Amino acid sequence: MRALTTFQSLNPSSSSISHSLFNRTCSPLTLSTHPQNHSNYKSIHYSRFLSHKSPISVIQSQNRPDNSVNEDTDDMFDELLDKYGKVVYSSKNDVNRPAAEVDDDAESLSFAVALAKVASEVKAADIRVLFVKPLVYWTRFFIIATAFSRPQIDAIGSKIRDLAEEKFKRIPKGDTKPNSWTLLDFGDVVVHIFLPPQRAFYNLEEFYGNATPIELPFENQNQSPFRS
Amino acid sequence: MIQPQTFLNVSNNSGARELMCIQIIGTSNRRYAHIDDVIVVVIKEAVPNMPLQRSKVIRAIIVRTCNELKRDNSMIIQYDDNAAVVIDQEGNPKGTRVFGAIALELRQLSFTKIVSLAPEVL
Repeated sequence: MRALTTFQSLNPSSSSISHSLFNRTCSPLTLSTHPQNHSNYKSIHYSRFLSHKSPISVIQSQNRPDNSVNEDTDDMFDELLDKYGKVVYSSKNDVNRPAAEVDDDAESLSFAVALAKVASEVKAADIRVLFVKPLVYWTRFFIIATAFSRPQIDAIGSKIRDLAEEKFKRIPKGDTKPNSWTLLDFGDVVVHIFLPPQRAFYNLEEFYGNATPIELPFENQNQSPFRS
Repeated sequence: MIQPQTFLNVSNNSGARELMCIQIIGTSNRRYAHIDDVIVVVIKEAVPNMPLQRSKVIRAIIVRTCNELKRDNSMIIQYDDNAAVVIDQEGNPKGTRVFGAIALELRQLSFTKIVSLAPEVL
């Protein structure tokens, strides 16, 4: 194995003194550790000298190793800040955050209620609309409904698809054929249509028990046995 | 990178404990399966007194892989285990709950059912 000699020197005042001590065949590698605060600037130089001409690949500093690059980027950021002088948002959604989010919620709510109303017209039972946005980030509303046969599931699904496409110009992802658990994914609204055994088996309402149930306008006409 | 003979953990309460991949569905000449691919598996180990038994052949969807999942925004998701969720022929999960973190890529390939049963979505 090759012999390794390490010299360490502590320079509290300046960082520009290089340590070319001896051994002309080898070039010293200067690494400095930067504290975040520039006023308490201390630099520790690790000057390593190898007895061979091999490149040094081990970096012992946990912070940024190169002093000049760091100052360059600082200057660049200062320049950018002077030039633009305000916070630059990364996407359009960040800009209109508080008001637009409420609008989006209201739009999704009206969409969800419209879908639930269509489902009740095709005699779906025990329709529940849950506001799940506080629990999961990937959607806003769940509609959970029970149908009693596969043709009925087909009817509910096709009615919901037609309404969403005609009035709201939206096309769902998810199941295209009637399934014992048919799911229509509109992005912010997700519709689950179950057969009664599957509804009891998966028990989604219990899993999303902390979600806020939305009162439906046609609820009184549709006397559901499970409604509390 | 799941290929035939790979062992996978089970990430739902279907009753199976360990699975072995024997085929990747929808491909003829692909070597590896990744997250949100459906595979044919054989149950190598099962919980006693449950409907799923050892050496039965079923379908499962991969939800976690040790190989990293790269997104377009340069986010990399890498799990510590290979795990799958047992589903039936229609795509409904056999168990009622899914355990562990699930990637959102499952939703884009119409496995929103598994995403909606998961406790944590990445």
